[in-house]
Amino acid sequence: MAEGQILFSEDNLEEGQKGKYMTFKTGNEYFGIAINYVCEIIGIQPITAVPEVESYIKGLINLRGKIIPVIDMRARFNIEPLEYTDRTCIIVIDVKGTTVGLIIEKIAEVVTIDDEDIIPPPSLTHRNTSNNKYVYGIGKIGDQVKMLLDPEKLIKDEDMSIMGSLADDDADANEE
Amino acid sequence: MAEDFNVEGMLDIFLFESEQLLDNLQDIVLEMKDESRFDDDSINEIFRVMHTIKGSSGIMMYEDITTVSHKLEDVFYYLRDTYPDNVPHVKLVEYVLEVADYISGELEKIKEGGEPDGDSSKLVAEIDSFLTQIKTGIIDSGEDLPPENEHQEATQFYIPAAPGEASKYFRITLHFFNDTQMCNIRAYQAVYELKEYAEDLIFSPEDIISNEDSGEVILQEGFRILLMTKSDRAEIKSILEKCSGVELVDIKESTAQEMMLGFSDDVIMEQPSPIVIALDDEEAKKAKEKAEAVTPGDYVVVKQDVGKKKQIAKHTKGPSKAAFMSVSVEKMDQLMDLIGEMVIAEAAVLENPDLKVPGLELSNFQKAAGQLAKITSDLQDVTMSMRMVSLQATFQKMNRIVFDVSRKLDKDIELEVIGENTEVDKNIIEHISDPLMHLIRNSVDHGIEDKEGRKAAGKPKKGKITLEAKNEGGKVYIIVRDDGAGLDKEKIYSKARQKGLIDSRSINEYSAKEIYQFITYPGFSTNETVTEYSGRGVGMDVVVKNIQNINGTLEIDSVPGQGSEMTLKIPLTLAIINGIVMEAGTGLFVIETSLVKEFVRVNEDMLVHEPNGEKYIMIRGECYPFMNLAKRYNMMSTESETIEDGVVIVMDYDGKNICVLVDKLVAQQEIVVKPIPNYIKRVRGLSGCTQLGDGSVALILDLPGLMLGEEKVK
Repeated sequence: MAEGQILFSEDNLEEGQKGKYMTFKTGNEYFGIAINYVCEIIGIQPITAVPEVESYIKGLINLRGKIIPVIDMRARFNIEPLEYTDRTCIIVIDVKGTTVGLIIEKIAEVVTIDDEDIIPPPSLTHRNTSNNKYVYGIGKIGDQVKMLLDPEKLIKDEDMSIMGSLADDDADANEE
Repeated sequence: MAEDFNVEGMLDIFLFESEQLLDNLQDIVLEMKDESRFDDDSINEIFRVMHTIKGSSGIMMYEDITTVSHKLEDVFYYLRDTYPDNVPHVKLVEYVLEVADYISGELEKIKEGGEPDGDSSKLVAEIDSFLTQIKTGIIDSGEDLPPENEHQEATQFYIPAAPGEASKYFRITLHFFNDTQMCNIRAYQAVYELKEYAEDLIFSPEDIISNEDSGEVILQEGFRILLMTKSDRAEIKSILEKCSGVELVDIKESTAQEMMLGFSDDVIMEQPSPIVIALDDEEAKKAKEKAEAVTPGDYVVVKQDVGKKKQIAKHTKGPSKAAFMSVSVEKMDQLMDLIGEMVIAEAAVLENPDLKVPGLELSNFQKAAGQLAKITSDLQDVTMSMRMVSLQATFQKMNRIVFDVSRKLDKDIELEVIGENTEVDKNIIEHISDPLMHLIRNSVDHGIEDKEGRKAAGKPKKGKITLEAKNEGGKVYIIVRDDGAGLDKEKIYSKARQKGLIDSRSINEYSAKEIYQFITYPGFSTNETVTEYSGRGVGMDVVVKNIQNINGTLEIDSVPGQGSEMTLKIPLTLAIINGIVMEAGTGLFVIETSLVKEFVRVNEDMLVHEPNGEKYIMIRGECYPFMNLAKRYNMMSTESETIEDGVVIVMDYDGKNICVLVDKLVAQQEIVVKPIPNYIKRVRGLSGCTQLGDGSVALILDLPGLMLGEEKVK
C-alpha cells in the first residue's frame, strides 16, 4: 500500500514537471533545459580557474561546501566571451549524479512546451551538425523558438568528436 | 508485526559483529601462542566467541560456519571442563587460526553478495579427530568424559513435562549470555520459532522489534514468554535451545489464569511456588532453593516489580559493553563538510561588513563571538579526532603474518611491536595495511636468515622483527626493522644492472641509500627462488606505489650483517592538511606547509637561462630548478608581473628541491582536502581542491606530480 502511494505521488511529480523547461538566453538565442535536471539557480560567483582543461570549463565554484565545476555556455557554443554582469546566472544541473553549473547570460522563464510543439532540429545545414548534437529539438511557443538542450550531451567530454568534425568543417570551408 | 523472520537488516550487524569477534579471537590466540597452553580466561573467551558465532550464523542460516564454530566450541568446552594437560598447544593454535580464517573467508564471500560455499568438512573432520585424540588420552588416564554440551547440564533441574491432552500453559524465561548483542532480535527469533507450536503467546518486553533498547532489558532480566500450546515441554525446550545466544532456558508450568493476567500481575509472579507445588512438590522445592540462591542472570530477576525493572536497566550498564559505536564513513564526511561550512559561515558573520560601521558598540558581540569561535574550533578538533584510528588492529594482523610465514619457513621469529597506539586517519589505515604486510613478509622471508645462517653468524637463534610507529613532525613513521643479514649492496647493484633498471654508472657513484632504493624498482627481486610469500618481483614497487598514493615515502637503510630498516613516512591525515595559500596568475593554489623549505625574494639576475629553455635559479650559491607556476599552467594574468614582484617558494620533496614562482602568498591555514569533481579530468600536479575561509576555492598542488610533469614537459 504505502509503496504504491509513493509511486503514485512520484508519478504525479513527474507528471507535473513533464513538458516544463527552464529557458535562458545565451548569445542571441533562447535555450531550454528540461526542468527535472535543474537543481537551482544562483548568481555569478567567484570562480577558481583550473589549468589544462577544456576552454569552456571555467573552473570551480563553492556551492555551500560542495565544489562543483562550471561551464560557460557562450564558450561551449563557441560564441565570443562576454564580461559577467549581475544578470549573469549559474544554473546548477544534476545529470546522473554529476553536478555542473552552467554560466548563462540571462535567465528567462519556465515554460511548458507540449511534445507536439517540439520538432527535431532541421538538418539542412550539415556544417553545424557538430554543434547541434546537444540540441535535440526545437520547441515552439507561439512565434518564439527555444532550442532544447540535452544536458547529458552538453556536459559530455566530446573533445575527440568535436575535433573531428571541426576538421571536417575546415575542409568544407576550404572547399568553398 | 511482520510474520516473516526477516534477516535482511541483520546481515550487516551479523557481519560486523562476527568480524569483531574474530579479530578478538585472533588477538587472544596470538597472545597465547608462545605459552605452553591456553589459560582459563582465554579458553573461556574463545569458547564464548565460538558460541556467539555459532549462534548468530545459525540465525542467518550459514550452516557451514555454524558447524565449524560448533566443533571448535566443543573442543574448548572440553578444555574448559577437564583441563587436560596433553593438548598439543601449537596444533590447537593452528586449528583455531584455521577456523578463524575459514569463517572470515566465508564472511568475505557473504559481504560481496556471494554464497558462503567453502567446504568445511575437512576442517571439521580434522578438529573432530583432534578432539578425540585429546579425549582418548584422558580416558586412558581413567577420567570420565565430560558432557558434550553445556545446555544439557544447565537445564538438568527442570521437571519433565506432564503429558496431557488439553492445551498446556508454560511460563518461559530466556536468559542470554551477558555480552550478547541484539538480544531483542534473538528474542524475536525465539518467538517466531515458537509461533508454529503456540496456540497463544504473550511475551515481555513487548516492543522487541520496534525498540532497540529492549535488548538491554532482556539482557538484564531475561525474556519472558507465556505460552499456550499442545506441544510438550521437551519439545519447547529443544526449540528454544536452538536459538542463538541463549544461556539458560527456564520453563515452568503455568495456568490459564496466569496466561490471562499476562505480565501485568506481579503478585502471581512473585509467588510462583504455590502453583508449582500443586503440580509437583519436589520441583517446587528445587525451584525455591534455586530462587534463594540468588545468582546473577538467573530467574530471580523476574521477581522485580515493573517500577524497579526500569531502574535496573538504567543503572547496570555492564562494563563488558564496549563504549564504541560504528558510524558510516559517509556520515563522518558529511559532518566534516558541515563543519567546514560552519567555519566559513562563522567568518561571514564575524567579519560582516555591517559591523564595520564606525562608532558601533560591539563589546558584547565580541565576547559572544569569541565564545562561538572557540566552540567552532573545538568542534573541528573533535571531529578530526573521530576520524583517527589507532594502528593497533593493523599491527595485530602483522603478528599473524609473522607467525604463519615463520612457521612455514621453519624460522624462529619474534615480533616486537612498539607504539601501536599511534593514531592515523581512517583512510590512511586502509592504505598502509597491504604495504606493511609486504614489508613484514619480506623481512621474515628475505631479511632473517634461516637457522643455520643465524648460527653461523653467531646471532641468537630467535630472529627479531621490530614494528614501530611514532608520531613526528606531523607525520607518522612506521618502521620495520629486522636483525637479519641486511641488504647486499653489490648483489642489488649487479641485479639492477642485469635487469637494465639503471644506467651504467659504477657502483661507487651511488650512495648506499640510492642502491637500496633499486629494490623498489618494478621488476626487481633478488631472491633467486620464488617462494610462496615473496619473491615474484612485484613486491616492493607495489609497496612504494601504494605508499605514494597516500603521499608517503619509503626509506630503506641497512647494515650488512646486522639487519635492515624500512621506514614508512606517512601523513597523519589526508582529510586535513596544513597548507600555504598563494596566488599565481589567475589561479589560487595551496601547497602543503611541510613541503616548503623557505620563501625567497629573487631578482632577474639570479636566474640562469639555459639555451634549451630551462631555467635555474641561484640561491646562496645553490642551483635549483625553477618553475613559474602561472606560466606552467598558462594562467598568466593580463598585467605582466616581473619576477621581482613575486615570491619564490623553495620546496623539498624526497630530497629533491624545486623553486616555484608565485605572485603572492595569501595565508597559512588548515585546509580540508576535497577531491576535484570527476567531471574535470585529472590535471597533472593537482591533487585536490579546498574551500578557503572566504568561500573561494583553491587548488591543492601535488609536488611529485608537478615535478614529474616538469620532467615530461622537458
